[in-house]
Amino acid sequence: MMVKDELAMMNPENEDSDPETESEEGDEEEDQQVVKLAEPSKTAVYNRDGLLERLADISWPDNLDWSHRLNIDREEQEVVDVNDDLAREHSFFTQALDGARQTYLSFQSKGEPFLRPADYYAEMVKTDTHMEKVKGRLLAEKRKMEESEERRKARDNKKLAKEVQAQKMKDRAKQKKQDIESVKKWRKQRQQSGFDKEGAAGLDLPFDEGDTKPFQRSNKKRPGVSPGDRSGGRATFGGKTFGGKGKGPDKKRKSREFRDSKFGFGGRKGLKKQNTAETTNDFKGGFQKGEFSAKNKRAKR
Amino acid sequence: MGKKRKHTETEALANGNKEETAIERPKRTLLGFKDGCTEEENKETSVVTFRNKEKVLVTCSRRISFRYRHLMLNLVSLLPHCKKDNKVESKDAKGATLNELVELKSCSSCLFFECRKGKDLYLWMAKCPNGPSVKFLVNAVHTMEELKLTGNHLKGSRPILTFSSNFNKEPHWKLLKEMFMQIFGTPKDHRKSKPFYDHVFVFSILDDHVWFRNYQISCPHTGTQKIDRGDLEKMTLVEVGPRFCLNPIKIFAGSFGGPTLYENPFYVAPNQIRSLEKKQKAGKYAKKVKAKTRRKMHQLSNPLEVDEFADMWKE
Repeated sequence: MMVKDELAMMNPENEDSDPETESEEGDEEEDQQVVKLAEPSKTAVYNRDGLLERLADISWPDNLDWSHRLNIDREEQEVVDVNDDLAREHSFFTQALDGARQTYLSFQSKGEPFLRPADYYAEMVKTDTHMEKVKGRLLAEKRKMEESEERRKARDNKKLAKEVQAQKMKDRAKQKKQDIESVKKWRKQRQQSGFDKEGAAGLDLPFDEGDTKPFQRSNKKRPGVSPGDRSGGRATFGGKTFGGKGKGPDKKRKSREFRDSKFGFGGRKGLKKQNTAETTNDFKGGFQKGEFSAKNKRAKR
Repeated sequence: MGKKRKHTETEALANGNKEETAIERPKRTLLGFKDGCTEEENKETSVVTFRNKEKVLVTCSRRISFRYRHLMLNLVSLLPHCKKDNKVESKDAKGATLNELVELKSCSSCLFFECRKGKDLYLWMAKCPNGPSVKFLVNAVHTMEELKLTGNHLKGSRPILTFSSNFNKEPHWKLLKEMFMQIFGTPKDHRKSKPFYDHVFVFSILDDHVWFRNYQISCPHTGTQKIDRGDLEKMTLVEVGPRFCLNPIKIFAGSFGGPTLYENPFYVAPNQIRSLEKKQKAGKYAKKVKAKTRRKMHQLSNPLEVDEFADMWKE
C-alpha cells in the first residue's frame, strides 16, 4: 500500500531530474507495489523489555540540557493518508516549520544566535556551481512559462483579429448590398414618376438629377489654373517642360501661356463663335448688318 | 585539566557501561586537596559538563549503485561528526569486520549502506561497542543533487531534529528516536560545527515507515537577533534534501548482530516480491494451457447435436 504512493511520488518528480534511474526505480516500485503482508506475521519477535533496556542503556541523562539534543516532538498530529503526496509532504513541512519556530523562540528568549547572519560566509552543503544549476533551472522554468503565456496571448489575439476582420467584411458586404438596393429603389421610383415625360425609354441615365454631378464641371477652383482656362491647366503645367532655353524664350513663353489661357489654345473654339439665343434676340444694334457686325467686331476686338 | 577530568567522571556516570575504565580513575581535583566530592556537586557538574562525543562511521558495501552512493555522500556532508570509510565487502561476516573498523576509527556509531543486487538498499544503523543496531530497507531515495530541491544551508550547522508524535508510542519507536537523535544530531560545540542553526531534519512515521526530510530555514531577518513576530510569520522552509524512507526490518541487541529484539511483522523482502511477480508472470502461460484443455474437455463432453435438415437441399 505505501509503496504505491511512493511510486506516485517518485514518478512525477523523477521525470526530469534523472531519467536514467527512473525506469529502474519505477520497476522496483512496481515490484513492491504488488505485495505487502496484509496480516502481521505471528512469528515476529517483539521483545518489549529488551527494547526498553537497550533504550535505557544508550539514552543520555535525563537532566541533560536541551541544547544538546535539539529535538522537537510534535504534540498532536492528524492522520495523513500516505498515498496522498501533497498531504504527506505538507504534514512533513508543517512539522518542520513548527519545530523551527519553536526553536527560534527558545533561542531568542535565551539570547543566543540562531539564524546565520547575512554577512557570515562559510562552506555550504551544496556548492556554488550546483546552486547555479538550480538557479538556471528555475529561470528556465520561468522563461518557459512566460513563453507559453506569450504564445497563448498571441493565439488569442489572432483569434480576435480574425473575428474583427470577419465582422468588417460582413459590414462591407452589407453596405454594398444596401447601396445597390437604394439605387434600385431610386430607379423604380423614377420610373413610376417623372421618367415617362422624357420619353427616352432605353436611356435612363441619371443626367439631370442630383446624381449628374460627375458630368458637371466642378465649381471648385483648380489650383494653378486661371479662371478662364479651358486647357485644363495644361498651359501652365506643360509650359515649363517646353522652356528652359535662356531667359528670353522663358519670358515669352510665360506671356504666351497667359494669353493662351486667356484666349484659348487648344480645345474647342466653335461654341464661342456660334450664336446663342441671347445674341439672336439682341436687337439693340438695329437691323443694319453693318452696325451689328461693327459692334460685334468691336466686342470681339 | 580539571575540567577534563570532571567530564570523564560524569561521562562514566552517564553511560557507565561504555567506559568502565573511567571509574578506576582516582578522584582528584585540580589542586589535589578537595578529595571529598559531594554527590550534589557531582550532579550539577554532570549537567554542565556532559559532552557528546558521538562519532559516526559512514560506509557502504561494494557494488553500490551511484544513486545510493550519492545518498551516502549527502549524509556525509550533513553530518560533520562522521567519518567516511572505504567500501566494505558485504558478506555474512561483515558484522565482525565492521565492528573492528568502527573501533579502529574510534567511532561510537555506524551507518552502513548495504546494496544488494544493485537494486535494494539496506541501511544499518548501529551504536557501536555494544548498543543496539537496526536494519532498514531504504525506499524512495532522492539525493541532494536533484534540481527540484532548491534549498541550501551551512555545511556543519547543527540541525534541529523534529519527530512526529507517534515516535513516543511504542518502545521500538522510542529506541529508534533515541538512536536518530544521537546519530543525526551534531554534537554541541563540535569543532566542525557552525554556531548557527539553519536547517531542520524531519523524522516522521507514516504507515510504519520513517520518512526523512531536510529543510533549510529561510527567514528575511531584519535586525541581527531580535524577537520579531513578523519574522516568525515570514519564516519559511526550502527543501534541501536528501529524501528517503526507512522501513525498519529488525532491531538487534548487539551491534551488527546479537539477539533480535524487534522484527517488522509486515515486512516482505524485495526478493520475495520479485519472485512472486515472476511466478505470476509464469502462471500466465500455464493458465492459457489449462483453459484450452478445459475447453476441449467441455466440447467433448457436450457434442453438437446433428442437424437433421443439413442434407435437405443437397440433391
